[in-house]
Amino acid sequence: MLQYFDPGKSGLNPDIDYGTPPSESETLVSVSIDGTDISVPEGTSVLRAAALAGITIPKLCASDNLEAFGSCRMCAVEIEGRRGYPASCTTPVAEGMSVTTQNGKLAKLRRNIMELYISDHPLDCLTCPANGNCELQDVAGAVGLREVRYGFDGENHLDADVDDSNPYFSFDPSKCIVCSRCVRACEEVQGTFALTIEGRGFESKVSAGQSEPFMDSECVSCGACVQACPTSTLMEKSVIEAGQPEHSVVTTCAYCGVGCSFKAEMKGDQLVRMVPYKGGDANHGHSCVKGRFAFGYATHKDRIREPMIRDSINEPWRTVSWDEAIGFAAKRLKDTQAKYGRESIGGITSSRCTNEETYLVQKLIRAAFGNNNTDTCARVCHSPTGFGLKTTIGESAGTQTFDSVMKADTIVVIGANPTDAHPVFGSQMRRRLRQGAKLIVIDPRRIDLLKTPHGSEGIHLPLRPGTNVAMVNALAHVIVTEGLEDKAFIEGRCEPEQYRAWRDFIVEERNSPEAMEAVTGVPAELVRKAARIYGEARNGAIYYGLGVTEHSQGSTMVMGIANLAMATGNLGREGVGVNPLRGQNNVQGSCDMGSFPHELPGYQHVGDPNVRERFEGDWGVSIDPEPGLRIPNMFDAAIAGTFKAMYVQGEDIAQSDPNTQHVEAALTSLDCLIVQDIFLNETAKFAHVLLPGSTFLEKNGTFTNAERRINRVRKVMAPVAGMEDWEVTMALSNALGYPMHYRHPSEIMDEIARLTPTFTGVSYEKLDRLGSIQWPCNEEHPDGTPTMHVLDFPIGRGKFAVTEYVASEEKTNRKFPLLLTTGRILSQYNVGAQTRRTENSRWHEEDVLEIHPSDAELRGIHDGDWLGISSRVGRTVLRAKVSDRMLPGVVYTTFHHPGSGANVITTDSSDWATNCPEYKVTAVQVEKVTQPSEWQRHFRQFDERQHELLTPAAANAETSDATAIK
Amino acid sequence: MSDQQLQNLIKMINQISINNLHHGDEDKAADVVATHIRKFWARSMKQQIIDYAESDGIELSAVSRLAVKRLAEPQEA
Repeated sequence: MLQYFDPGKSGLNPDIDYGTPPSESETLVSVSIDGTDISVPEGTSVLRAAALAGITIPKLCASDNLEAFGSCRMCAVEIEGRRGYPASCTTPVAEGMSVTTQNGKLAKLRRNIMELYISDHPLDCLTCPANGNCELQDVAGAVGLREVRYGFDGENHLDADVDDSNPYFSFDPSKCIVCSRCVRACEEVQGTFALTIEGRGFESKVSAGQSEPFMDSECVSCGACVQACPTSTLMEKSVIEAGQPEHSVVTTCAYCGVGCSFKAEMKGDQLVRMVPYKGGDANHGHSCVKGRFAFGYATHKDRIREPMIRDSINEPWRTVSWDEAIGFAAKRLKDTQAKYGRESIGGITSSRCTNEETYLVQKLIRAAFGNNNTDTCARVCHSPTGFGLKTTIGESAGTQTFDSVMKADTIVVIGANPTDAHPVFGSQMRRRLRQGAKLIVIDPRRIDLLKTPHGSEGIHLPLRPGTNVAMVNALAHVIVTEGLEDKAFIEGRCEPEQYRAWRDFIVEERNSPEAMEAVTGVPAELVRKAARIYGEARNGAIYYGLGVTEHSQGSTMVMGIANLAMATGNLGREGVGVNPLRGQNNVQGSCDMGSFPHELPGYQHVGDPNVRERFEGDWGVSIDPEPGLRIPNMFDAAIAGTFKAMYVQGEDIAQSDPNTQHVEAALTSLDCLIVQDIFLNETAKFAHVLLPGSTFLEKNGTFTNAERRINRVRKVMAPVAGMEDWEVTMALSNALGYPMHYRHPSEIMDEIARLTPTFTGVSYEKLDRLGSIQWPCNEEHPDGTPTMHVLDFPIGRGKFAVTEYVASEEKTNRKFPLLLTTGRILSQYNVGAQTRRTENSRWHEEDVLEIHPSDAELRGIHDGDWLGISSRVGRTVLRAKVSDRMLPGVVYTTFHHPGSGANVITTDSSDWATNCPEYKVTAVQVEKVTQPSEWQRHFRQFDERQHELLTPAAANAETSDATAIK
Repeated sequence: MSDQQLQNLIKMINQISINNLHHGDEDKAADVVATHIRKFWARSMKQQIIDYAESDGIELSAVSRLAVKRLAEPQEA
């Protein structure tokens, strides 16, 4: 007999649709299907049981990512001892059940149903975009439909209008069979509830919003409906244009820290569409508008296709061979060091590049540059997570899998906006909220998660920007003083001395919600209510984002969150934990790979002689025992004239770092700036060497997502300039005289595994076999570690930290009476270099300033007005959007467009422990203006000039020879 | 070294100090601050703040000044 214990996991083929979702039951039930005996978990549908036994029952409205619906009746079966022909999708198995899936009566029944469907379906199969991949066509074939007795002259829907409003997919209702799969996908998979079946009987039709075009409805363009559609009613425009793909490669998305697995569906080397991969454990077959649709940037005309050099930034770029560009860069670096010393150069690794590439850049800096001046963009996002979590629970990483949220009873979201910034995980959270989990949101802004359709009512603590630590202390005060602590956990798992010190501090009256109300602006009773809900939950899980870290007390707040989880025993099992939501695809990986100036890969301090000895033995060089410069220190040193050259791989510090004018001053002070990127980004406009980067589609490697999951990135097309990014770093290293000879990124991973205790069990062979691995993966955990800290912490016992609230120096006053906070939106990604070069810009053509109605009224501001926003460091101009999502006194904007100059106004105030910039708090004044700011006018001129300098180089471009240098 | 660079270092160390005042007395806090700087600051930054403390040091908070003194002392193995 066939036995299935855990459907949905082991042994299942992600390319097969098993018809209905798996049952979680551990009780097995034995049934016989067409004479094949099989035992499956109780609650499994007959349709799924048959599929598990290898028996295909025709179906149209069923799919294993949607609850059974029973509308198409195509999956009817005969069950011994039962009357009629029940739908196998809605019929659960029962012990001893005997099922027949094929006989004369069933065949006739199915053929008759199909005949009805086809009587109102166009017969244009040969010219239909779904041809070759149409479930309706397949089922018609399977049931042997040969004629349609009703003719095609009756009333029908064949003239229904096509809705082409969405840039990525079309909606052709004439092809619709009203199976409701799209509507259910929008509800169950995405959780947006934008689609509905409107009308009844023959009038039934799929409708977006209130019978609106898709673009005008609340549809978020995730594409779950397109993927669910069994016909060509909802179809990717890329497939309509190119035809069906002929092969596919499983790879990992290069947008946010969720790290979705995708099948890149190809036609030769042309990417036709991205389909989220059901076998991906981070996303289980779901995706967002960025990952599924916004891949056009990879083949955009703006790609840098040739290496280029110039002596000064006022000169035109010269297109050169790889050899010449690398030679030029190496000579400049060596000359700089000869003149200004070993520590006068450094580099920045990329959180968008692979682990292997990041590892190689920091190795190049430590081994070939001979210093530790390496940093990464995590400096400006999650460096406080590294510091805060390492100090308290011993490891710089989130504690859970994403799936763990499905066991959480209370979900706390602090300074994060998952439905926009981590949409696929946002959908999963919403699924759990629909099941009844409670929600607490701590954020100055009312995020969309708070209006989850059919979700439980959430508590919103709309605190003043910069007061997180006051809030977390108030919450902890309630937990401790109201007896909500988990004493057993604290005694068994935490350092008693530190706990006592923390407890003495937190019970002080000055930390009570009542005392902190004046600081946070949130009513004490609401804070008490939230603390009780978290403290009393069986499983309480905390998720946080940059609204926690990007503050002057970012690290303190991370420790405060860890304190809260330890005090309530919410660590070490599923459904709980402390979970940083990472911004970029490989922020976790870039931190793991030793990008920070004080840490070698695996968070091993450079000052530790034992650690250094292992690396020195493997690398054959001596490593500087002192930490190097962080990004802001590099800028300061550049302006001071002691830091003169920089290698920047895949980062746009000129746009993404705070106080733009300070950054620009630093970049113009450099004698040699080497930028490796796919576009002429803002930083590259200050560069002397421009090396073409490769997109995630053009290389092999791995990304590590926010749940520590190492996923394979697989090459589906050749790099535009012939070199993958790791090969470029290798060439530069060789030119500098430090030899590197990797033939494939797998060899780099083998080296990482050799030197990093949490990676010793990782290899490409194992990744291919298991699909993905969550580190630590070593002798103790050979298949990885989904949940961390189950028995103990890497530092033994957990360490409570005293988290004194210290107000930010960035304060409002009469001159700057408003607080600006920044964030991101769904359709754009970070600095927008990729998404601005796709149709995603249709949703967000410019950054706007959200301002509360009362602040707007005071200043006579209306929607669409030009607003001058000034801070202590700069001034920019944006359009107004009046919105009550923030409290009065708080204004909000995004930073996706360089010309907006959001970072012209952000200051260099930063986290005390890590120098992570305080993007989330800037005191500003806002007033109506009629023209762009001086910086913006300068930006436009400089931007135009730099594009002119690029044009002749691009026009003379010849194919450069990458093979010679490899 | 520019004034701006030094100003930033002074601001940084004072900020580290103020966030660690809760470690009992000033001596203890200074230990924590010195350890933090040893662990995270580059060689050149440490030298600059030591030079400043020895030549002027007026803008350093009491804890910062104590911490820099510890930095200047040779480390026990």
